[in-house]
Amino acid sequence: MDRSLWALNRFGLGARIGERESAGDPAAWLRSQLRPEFAVLDGSANLPTTDEIASAVLRFGAAVRSDDAEERSAARREIAAIEVRESSTSLARRVTSNASFVERLVAFWSNHLCVSSLGKPQVAPFAGHYERHVIRPHVLGRFEDMVLASARHPAMLLYLDNAQSIGPDSRAGKATKRGGRGRGLNENYARELLELHTVGVNGGYEQQDVEQLARILTGWSVVGVRPRDGAEGPPGFLFRSAIHEPGDKTVMGVRYRESGEGEGKSAIRDLCAKPSTADFLAGKLACHFVSDSPPPAAVDAIATTWRATDGDLLEVSRTLIDLESAWDPGFRKFRTPQDWLVAVLRAVHATEVTPRLGFVLRVLRHPLWRPPAPKGFGDTTSEWADPDSLLNRAELSRSVASRVPDTRVDPREFLGLTEVRDSGALSSMLEDGSISRSERVALAIGGPAFQWR
Amino acid sequence: MNRRGFVQGMCYGGLATLGAPLVSLARVPGNGRFVFVLLRGGLDGLATVVPIADPAYGSIRGRLAYDPDELLPIGEGFALAPGLAPLSELAAGGDLVALQAMAIPYRTRSHFDGQAILETGLDRPDGSSNGWLNRLLQVMEGTREGIAVAAGMPRSMSGSIGVATWSPASLGATSDAYIERLHVLYQRDPILLDRFEAALQLQEVATEATAGMAGAGQGRRRGQMAPVMRATARFLREPDGPNVAAVEFGGWDTHTNQGLAGGSLDRLLAGLAEGILAYEAESGSSWSDTTIVVMTEFGRTARPNGTGGTDHGTAGAGLVVGPGVARGPVLTDWPGLSGRELYEGRDLRPTLDTRAVLKGVVMGVFDLTATQANRVFPGSTDVRPRTDLIR
Repeated sequence: MDRSLWALNRFGLGARIGERESAGDPAAWLRSQLRPEFAVLDGSANLPTTDEIASAVLRFGAAVRSDDAEERSAARREIAAIEVRESSTSLARRVTSNASFVERLVAFWSNHLCVSSLGKPQVAPFAGHYERHVIRPHVLGRFEDMVLASARHPAMLLYLDNAQSIGPDSRAGKATKRGGRGRGLNENYARELLELHTVGVNGGYEQQDVEQLARILTGWSVVGVRPRDGAEGPPGFLFRSAIHEPGDKTVMGVRYRESGEGEGKSAIRDLCAKPSTADFLAGKLACHFVSDSPPPAAVDAIATTWRATDGDLLEVSRTLIDLESAWDPGFRKFRTPQDWLVAVLRAVHATEVTPRLGFVLRVLRHPLWRPPAPKGFGDTTSEWADPDSLLNRAELSRSVASRVPDTRVDPREFLGLTEVRDSGALSSMLEDGSISRSERVALAIGGPAFQWR
Repeated sequence: MNRRGFVQGMCYGGLATLGAPLVSLARVPGNGRFVFVLLRGGLDGLATVVPIADPAYGSIRGRLAYDPDELLPIGEGFALAPGLAPLSELAAGGDLVALQAMAIPYRTRSHFDGQAILETGLDRPDGSSNGWLNRLLQVMEGTREGIAVAAGMPRSMSGSIGVATWSPASLGATSDAYIERLHVLYQRDPILLDRFEAALQLQEVATEATAGMAGAGQGRRRGQMAPVMRATARFLREPDGPNVAAVEFGGWDTHTNQGLAGGSLDRLLAGLAEGILAYEAESGSSWSDTTIVVMTEFGRTARPNGTGGTDHGTAGAGLVVGPGVARGPVLTDWPGLSGRELYEGRDLRPTLDTRAVLKGVVMGVFDLTATQANRVFPGSTDVRPRTDLIR
């Protein structure tokens, strides 16, 4: 096994032609990528500002309220344009990054704490902003800071309905009790915070804990993005004490004294510090980086680092590099559609991405920032390697290959991009001048070897 | 490729696994066809099979309480949601039974766990990815084929018997030299080879079935359910085609503004009703052998939440549809809706085990013994199959 290739494919997002030679000592090369500044993605003129996004969301909300179909579709177009700017910037980064281990980590955590625009158009323009402002700043920082940031971001607050969750005994709750429209407690976010974001479904919480956590989080809301709100501040997070459920609450045996916004902060920090959170995330990371059924030693090593460092994701990421099993060719991961497509584009040296990429990812059932449920996308072979999907990839390979200029790549170079077992058939096809150059590229990226990392 | 070749090809790995039982001691299979429709997200059962006769109904449902005049009464104090009105003929003809106060055997309000239980057929989550529909195929010793009409292999169909997946493709592949070369390359990949071959062999029928259904997508929205069900009927109506199908539709997790007649949930239900009718219309003479079961991972809270929707609950509703349905309009041991009758003070109390229904249905449709049904649902020996469901 070629360890450089392994570093580029298993930890990174796929080798570009020539990149293997520059990787040097693979583990040191991976460690050198772990710098917070490499995770930053802003400054691009293409990216929308918070105000631009908020204004598009407000416009859409107002159009829905006024039932103005024409204005609503105009607002939808504005939202779609923002989505395209965000997603093409993010995908271009994945395709061109020289620190693609960091980009894999960004994608992992973004999926772990996912938001989705599915059924929630107002989340759509915020999704890229969410990844830039919640995930990237903390991807090599502390887990609890990432979760706290996600809890306060409009994308999450709107996606899992917490922005509109109202304490039944809060001032606003009492005032509108019975008869009011759309006013009351919503436990959606609280449940997913426990089940999906922190302690996991077996983390030892009960229905009672969900309800109590939901009450703690009442008041964690938004400003500047809903037409009915006043102008209490710049668009973003706002703690609204008028809808906060008063009184002490208890979650998983810990009592939280009434302290408004402070209760939620303490509760989230406590959940992130639970041993069950360390175990849950260690298992998920090992599954992502090692195998659908990772060896217990890998999970233990990650969990040990997590506990020893209170969820310091820089240290956790270093531990991933040190896992023996992550370098064991006996373990393989099937590339998810996003992984596969990004690896394809890296292999053919794409330098930019077009909005069509978004469409292709939808066809492959893996659209950016649009998972079907709050659990995010899975990353196991059984979830992605079904017959239908393999054929879709085969067809798509042909379509991508036909767009690659003949001068850009020599099909034979693809042999150096993936570990190919029993490479005889592939290498003779890639050298076969009777097959068109474009088809040879398609065979390299559409064939079985390229489906694994 | 002839039809038999297609069917065997779809069954990647399966026949080999079972030692190719060309001569089988199993009983001669009948013509039964079974479609399992999974509504992912947690269907609000109280807004689907509406308990209009329960004295607490109006008060507990609050602003989500239906005006009984808008509903389709089916008897025994229940009525179907307005969106399900297209099913009135089936209901009147005794070809539909509504299931109420039904739940999986494990108490959870997690989508993930709930779907895992419903799809594995086990009584607790064990991380298994073996589905009960696959075990059903195993129990029938490879004499029946399965197909998952879904984007990706649903857990219900996963297991040692190979099952094809099919979804309305937007990137139709064709057979040519490129695909043949890829096939050669896939010979080197023992994990992916069977899947790739299954895909090739499905193309033939898929191309036929997709005619005129561009944009059918993944069947998440109302308008997409009918084409997906129509395609399923095409697969199952072939004499040598698959006999067991898993179909799934999403979008049922109605936390906000689910609405009443014509609202967002009701529109989804209308799509489901259209889908069932589309299946009936397309299935031709195979309809007489067909049974469709509609289930979901859990019901939702009895009371509306604060945002015009409902949160994750416990017992919910389902449907069994088909000419083989043998009993009255509603199968339920109704627990009641008053506050003290609710499960944990908030959800409809479960009184009917999903496995009792499913065991009864597959025993009836495929003429299985109780012992065989218990192998499909391990750990369910003490759950009495509802053999009164199918004649």
